[in-house]
Amino acid sequence: MLDIDGLASGYGARPVARLGHLTLAPGEAALLTGPSGSGKTTLLLAIAGLARRHAGRATVGGIDLHDLPPARRDRFRGRSIGFVFQDLHLVTGLSALDNVLLAPYAAGAPQDRARALALLGELGLGGLAHAAAARLSRGQAQRVAIARAVLQKPKLILADEPTASLDDEAAAAVCDLLLAAAAANGAALVIATHDRRLRERIARQVAIEALP
Amino acid sequence: MNTAKLVLAFVRRNPLVWAFNVLTLALGVGVVVAVLLLGQALDRRFAADLGGVDLVVGAKGSPLQLIMSSLFQVDVPTGNIPLAAAEKLAGHPLVAASAMLSLGDSVKGLRIVGTTPAYLGLYGAKLARGALWSAPFEVVLGATAAATLGLDIGGTFAGQHGLAGGGETHDEFPYRVVGILEPSGTVVDRLVLTGPESVWEIHEHEEEEVAAEHGEAAAPHPREVTALLIRYKSASGAILLPRLVDAMPDMQAAIPAVEAARLRSLLGAGADVVRWLGLALLGLSALGFVVTLFAAVQQRRRELALLRVLGARPVLLFGAVLLEALLLGLAGGLAGIGIGHAMAMLGGAAAASGGGPELAIAPPGLIDLAALGAAAGLALAASFAPAFAAYRLDPAQTLKSG
Repeated sequence: MLDIDGLASGYGARPVARLGHLTLAPGEAALLTGPSGSGKTTLLLAIAGLARRHAGRATVGGIDLHDLPPARRDRFRGRSIGFVFQDLHLVTGLSALDNVLLAPYAAGAPQDRARALALLGELGLGGLAHAAAARLSRGQAQRVAIARAVLQKPKLILADEPTASLDDEAAAAVCDLLLAAAAANGAALVIATHDRRLRERIARQVAIEALP
Repeated sequence: MNTAKLVLAFVRRNPLVWAFNVLTLALGVGVVVAVLLLGQALDRRFAADLGGVDLVVGAKGSPLQLIMSSLFQVDVPTGNIPLAAAEKLAGHPLVAASAMLSLGDSVKGLRIVGTTPAYLGLYGAKLARGALWSAPFEVVLGATAAATLGLDIGGTFAGQHGLAGGGETHDEFPYRVVGILEPSGTVVDRLVLTGPESVWEIHEHEEEEVAAEHGEAAAPHPREVTALLIRYKSASGAILLPRLVDAMPDMQAAIPAVEAARLRSLLGAGADVVRWLGLALLGLSALGFVVTLFAAVQQRRRELALLRVLGARPVLLFGAVLLEALLLGLAGGLAGIGIGHAMAMLGGAAAASGGGPELAIAPPGLIDLAALGAAAGLALAASFAPAFAAYRLDPAQTLKSG
């Protein structure tokens, strides 16, 4: 599902981080580890075709997003990759349900409202589907972001520091939710983190190489 | 989920800022719409009040004053001219139709005009009920005058000396209503019409009373009229008749079309100032849109980056900013049209209460459609650069730096 080989990425003329080798089958998960500021987010964005690729390859379902023209790359990313960010990125003026439906809307895909409601229900947010995102607690907002990431049954879920600033119990819950969601949807899961607590839950760990 | 919903979610985040921008746009649109509506109403009023009159003959003085007093019925007359001279001119072979006017009295601010039924023909005014005046002190009321006085056929009233009201009341010469006119949309609507004999009798009686107080007999003098309205029989009248009149002692010929154009240009200077004020407000509003949209794009750049991550093409972000501006531009335009109509109506009412002509403000139409289009266009034009900034947003850089 995900195959990475020597992917180096950065924003200017020089790469800032490199990832040696990683292959994940559907339902498998891995941690992308490294200290804060080492370039983990950059590599995640490079896998999704958003940050510049300096060297190597990263394919999702056999497709390297950097080989696609911009329009197809956006379309493929929208339909095949789910994202969960550290600071959640919910649109606060929208309801929880609309935030979940933001994914198919942005990708130009059909909006499966029933599935979105079912996902929110599965994540314990059935009664808050129409609540404004601004009124949700951090934990509730995190679950909305997870529902949005899996709504379109993506091939790959990329999570960037999803447990940062959470207590142990909440961090464990979020990690389990991500693993369950990935398994249920047949998606590969990559979590970029420097949170040591997650190492107990996900055995596959790949350290990134920060480039000078 | 749709773009409009997303845009409204963004707008709701800064309601006061957007309310200020929409209000500025609405005020600009409102001022421009009000000026256009009042100008349009004034033009219609002029055209209606000029009726079929080609030439006004009156006493020497300001030709504009003669036109204002005799056609628009809003100023004092320049004086009187001899009845004999007016009758001679009326009988000229180049005159197709004419009506003499004798002014001097009023009732509740409405002018009592001594004239002949030919006056109605110049404006195409028709009786709604009753009959035309055929004897002294019989009157026919214009539609607005009838409503103002609250009188119907058979009703009576006394006139007051002077055109502005507040003068001595002629209780000994009561007028009796014999007819009511249909609304014509012209100056006739707010007049009280009677035969010139009524005006002459009252004022001759007054002169006799004054003379008697001094122990003298009133000196007989030829009867006079205030003005003579003329419609030419042919184009030759336009060349010959004014020259003929101007050669007569103490008389002048005023051409309504020329004087109305002069009046328009006098009013136009004032209207230009107001119009520029409106345009300045529109310019300020456009600047406000640019600044606010740039700030909004900057403020929500992480959410825009999220949309890109979720698969949105840059053109969707571009379109969302344009749609935001369009919705707010339309809101400002609609509010501005409402403000413009309210301002025009207030302006029209103020003009009428100040002794000016009644102005009928047109219902929503082409002016409003153009104003709405202009407001939307202005907002769209102002949003183009901020929309392009959203289009060019680099999601990777934005998320990395956040």
